[in-house]
Amino acid sequence: MSTNLHVPPSRRRVLQTASCGFGYLAFAGLARANLSDRPAALPAKAKRVIFLCMSGGPSHLDTFDYKPQTGKKAHPGSVFKFNRHGESGLRISELMPETAKHADKLCLLNGMHADTGIHAQSFLQLHTGDRLRERPSIGSWINYGLGTENQNLPGFISLNTSRPSTYSSAFLPAVYNGTAIGANGEKMEEATIDNLTGDHLAPTSKRRQLDFVQALNRDHLARRPGDEALESAVQTMELGFRMQTAAPDLLDLSTESAATLERYRVGRQQAVPGTCQQTDFGRQCLLARRFAEAGVRFIEVNHGSWDQHKNHRRDLQANCAATDAPVAALLEDLEQRGLLDETLVVWGGEFGRPGLVPGDGKDETGHNAKGFTFWLAGGGVKGGFVHGATNETGARAVDGKVHFRDLHATVLELMGLPPNDLTFRYAGRDHRLTGPEGGRVVTEVFA
Amino acid sequence: MANPIAFRQLMKPLPVISACLVTIAPTFLGASETIDQKQRRFFEERIRPVLVESCYECHSADAEKIGAKLLLDTPGQLRAGGESGSPMVAGQPEKSLLIHALRYEDDLEMPPEKPLPENVVADFAKWIEMGAPDPRPTDPDVPAALAERAYGEGDLWSFEPVEDPPPPEVEETSWPSDLVDYFVLAEQESRGLQPAKDADPRVLVRRLHYDLIGLPPSHPEVDRFVENYGKDGREAVGRLVDELLASPHFGERWGRHWLDVARYAESNGNDGLSRNPTFPHAWRYRDYVIDAFNRDLPYDRFLTEQIAGDLLAADSPEERDRLLVATGFLAVGSKPAKAMNKNFEMDVVADQIDVVATGLLGLSVGCARCHDHKFDPIPTRDYYAMAGLFTSTETMWGLAGNEKLTAPPTDLHVLATKPKVPPPADFVETVILRESSTGKPKKIPKPKWDPGTPLAMGVRDREEPADCKINLNGEAEKPGEAVPRGFLTAVDTGNELEIQVDESGRLQLAAWIASPRHPQTARVMVNRVWQHLFGTGIVATPDDFGVYGARPSHPQLLDHLATRFVEEGWSVKALVREIATSRTYQLDSIAVGESREADPENRWLTRHPRRRLDAESLRDGILKASGQLNPEPADGSLVRHRDILVNLAGDLHRPSRHRSVYLCYLRNSPPPELAAFDLPDFLAVEGRREASNVPGQALYLFNNLFVVEQARHFARSLLDEPETDDEAKIRRAFHRVFQRDPAPRELLRSTELLARTEDAPGSKATAWASFAQALFATNEFRYVD
Repeated sequence: MSTNLHVPPSRRRVLQTASCGFGYLAFAGLARANLSDRPAALPAKAKRVIFLCMSGGPSHLDTFDYKPQTGKKAHPGSVFKFNRHGESGLRISELMPETAKHADKLCLLNGMHADTGIHAQSFLQLHTGDRLRERPSIGSWINYGLGTENQNLPGFISLNTSRPSTYSSAFLPAVYNGTAIGANGEKMEEATIDNLTGDHLAPTSKRRQLDFVQALNRDHLARRPGDEALESAVQTMELGFRMQTAAPDLLDLSTESAATLERYRVGRQQAVPGTCQQTDFGRQCLLARRFAEAGVRFIEVNHGSWDQHKNHRRDLQANCAATDAPVAALLEDLEQRGLLDETLVVWGGEFGRPGLVPGDGKDETGHNAKGFTFWLAGGGVKGGFVHGATNETGARAVDGKVHFRDLHATVLELMGLPPNDLTFRYAGRDHRLTGPEGGRVVTEVFA
Repeated sequence: MANPIAFRQLMKPLPVISACLVTIAPTFLGASETIDQKQRRFFEERIRPVLVESCYECHSADAEKIGAKLLLDTPGQLRAGGESGSPMVAGQPEKSLLIHALRYEDDLEMPPEKPLPENVVADFAKWIEMGAPDPRPTDPDVPAALAERAYGEGDLWSFEPVEDPPPPEVEETSWPSDLVDYFVLAEQESRGLQPAKDADPRVLVRRLHYDLIGLPPSHPEVDRFVENYGKDGREAVGRLVDELLASPHFGERWGRHWLDVARYAESNGNDGLSRNPTFPHAWRYRDYVIDAFNRDLPYDRFLTEQIAGDLLAADSPEERDRLLVATGFLAVGSKPAKAMNKNFEMDVVADQIDVVATGLLGLSVGCARCHDHKFDPIPTRDYYAMAGLFTSTETMWGLAGNEKLTAPPTDLHVLATKPKVPPPADFVETVILRESSTGKPKKIPKPKWDPGTPLAMGVRDREEPADCKINLNGEAEKPGEAVPRGFLTAVDTGNELEIQVDESGRLQLAAWIASPRHPQTARVMVNRVWQHLFGTGIVATPDDFGVYGARPSHPQLLDHLATRFVEEGWSVKALVREIATSRTYQLDSIAVGESREADPENRWLTRHPRRRLDAESLRDGILKASGQLNPEPADGSLVRHRDILVNLAGDLHRPSRHRSVYLCYLRNSPPPELAAFDLPDFLAVEGRREASNVPGQALYLFNNLFVVEQARHFARSLLDEPETDDEAKIRRAFHRVFQRDPAPRELLRSTELLARTEDAPGSKATAWASFAQALFATNEFRYVD
């Protein structure tokens, strides 16, 4: 594949231009080239993304979007205290004291909006741009566009996942599929990549064994020309093989100091009644840092559920308590290692929540997709900056509105990928993450 | 079917949905009688669509959150107004708050996203000038958004009665072999597509074995079929299908499919507080399901037994036991912790409603627990009508790990005819439960049953059945009015199903669902069967036949199959036979002509989809090839004597040589031999598993102990073969894994691998095990053409 292409060519185009045809691509070294690091088409501000996915719909008004009471009549707004932090004076809720210490790194997007208040659909749209069908996840798109920095690891890792459709490569080659570590509801403290090692064969014998398998697969494929699923299975087998050498050390946290484990609150999350699940979020964040250091392109960590309908205050506090310090530790470490400039950290969930009215005794919230908050940090965005706003009750974005597709476009652009031209031809037309509408790059937040 | 319900047979079928659900045309009288035709038209064309489009989202009874307490559902509500007072002064638009809000003149700006176009605002002004004539019904029980929801054409397709369409005309009249084929070919011809060639018999026999019994054929079985196919062609296929349908493995394969629908598992799963109690008796339901598919229990009877088996007459104690076990369907769901959860009982009911509605009808009803369904015609009242059936029912899940905070202990069905199997003499429970406050071991109360008493999860009617009150906003503590027990009002099957005060109504529920006239029941099941034979259903979302689900690719074919299914006595085996003997099913998986490009997702079935083996088939296939498979059903379960918390127990799984369906399906702790291959979480109905392709699966094939062990067994048996030369052994290995001879090149490569595996020099066993493992890892083994 020549490197002067501005946009990664669609698979089909590669197939058409590669004179030796399909077999050549898959087996003559290009299968690796497919995964290999390729130059970004645009000047890249970030090399990788860590997505802190807060599933369930975090309450923007009680975390990052301060809505004081205005006028005489009480109206929905923030019910927790907000203070100004850092040199920028960013207002952050009292529930996030540790994250607040990094206020000057944060770029708040307070004008987020989405299409639907249905969890599953909005969650899928946040990940794939589509609410209904299985489409490639943003992590798959980025790996499709850029390849992976580390050939021995998947370029897309999703920790504490929910449904495979959120980290699926869908119609993109399966080699860009996310690799899950730990599933929602299982014990995150024990989450690992299963079957990573085995000493039943010496490494050289394992390699010979794999070569034999792939030789048989090649013949099998030749009798079934053009089956991309089979070809993907071949590539996935290679990647799995290489993971055996790289992944075990990365997952082993025993080399981390006690102080680090404490800063991340690894294993410290308490079981509490309510929606807040034990996700050992500290362990997830620490693993995210380690994967980032090792060159994984897109790392998603998950915490939920922020869907605190009935006991809003209690459950929100629990969710914030479970995530605040680990997030702060991650930001601190990335900065200290000089990685923050090239790592884009994204925080947010599938939508926000309506505000409570202070003093009216109610403690119940619902879903609000018309206005909510995301924040970005590092990776070429302004710190201590607020972009966009909701109206005075926080019910809807009124200024600097950013839809998921705009967020996607912005992330791709920061990664050096042309958001609306990163396409893949499937089922007769070119598809892209930003959908038929396309996304607007929020250049206002660029540093 | 023996049940005491009187069916009122109607001479002509009732329209299943009333017209008001799909049309905008008003037929209302009452308050609107004084409105003249012109005014009515003005309202219908200019005002109502705007209300529906721009206002109901926040100002209708079924809005998620009602804005400013203002409802616009009925004329009265609209005139009365909400928090801000009456929005209208009749005849005086300039004095009407509504107009001010629409014009964004004051603080109040509606709709909040952006102002309506000026001409629309002018229409509202004109309408108020007329005196705001509003022909809508005054009955506030019918939320306007439901009655006037703007359904698109075909949105409610699954609520339409099942038709029996004649097979369409096709040009290639010699192509079809079954009626099914006409429907498929007609769609292809209309798009200029061409079906693939017929599959090679070697391909077909393997496909049929995996699809029908979940196991690969043996090499002699393949050769025999190829010979028969050469002689008798399609008739040989029919004979093979019959053989496979008669195999006890059929029930294991198809029962497993059903267990995904039934969200079957042998533990509760995380209750939200990380506690995961075992269900030591759930396996009896598993065995019931396998047996039901093997005996081809008519599907209407099958679901009746699962909903109301305890209420059906039995002519023997054995039959009585069987029927009690069937109701495990309603009891094996996952429950959230009881601790601090005032909605616990209603959470249990929610799971039951979900498994019935989603699993049997393809409708998600759960949303209606808190508000009228946003998309499908399912009001909250219907939800509580169904809830009453289950609140009048006692659900028996057992001791729930003796952890009361998860779920309080319940009674269980005691089975009369099953043997008493006490724990082995040396059995000691190693999992100790501790008091959360003191950390001291908890005293476990002695169960009321002798050890080993045959027990079953299930349900029975409560002594005093009662209607359920609406839980406002889904809160048990906010009871509204009681709703008479019943079913979904959007579906009228024409049967009179009266529920007496002293019964729960589950029998009537079963009769309503199992009615031949129910528009969803048969369609949903034939679609599930189709999906298991083609990878994708005619409706690609097998659990969602609602507005937001997929539309059928071949609606007429779906109805044809549903009609045939019911006419042939709801026989699943007959249905499988029809589909499997169709020409469509027997196509090759390699596309011809333009169809790969023109039909990339194979929506028009131009070829047979190549499919990755699912978790169970892969493991069972490995066991068969290694020679280790124990084809007998396993007896009971690993947890049958253990009422414990899985989360405290460490790894409960043990190696087994039985088929995968008999492994211990614990929630949040799936069998490690299956976990890498898209096993569902069994928390809810999952009619379609994903078929992902991730490096974790490669790692499983490289390093999983099960795979390594089976490869060793395989190698040992090859080495033990009487043939002395390696080539004969390699040949034998290929026969066992691929049911074919190796090509010369493959033979060469195999010999090379064996020679160059350098572990423990001289250790033939290791080299052969590596070779055997490699065969399991190939695409040829893991995919079915």
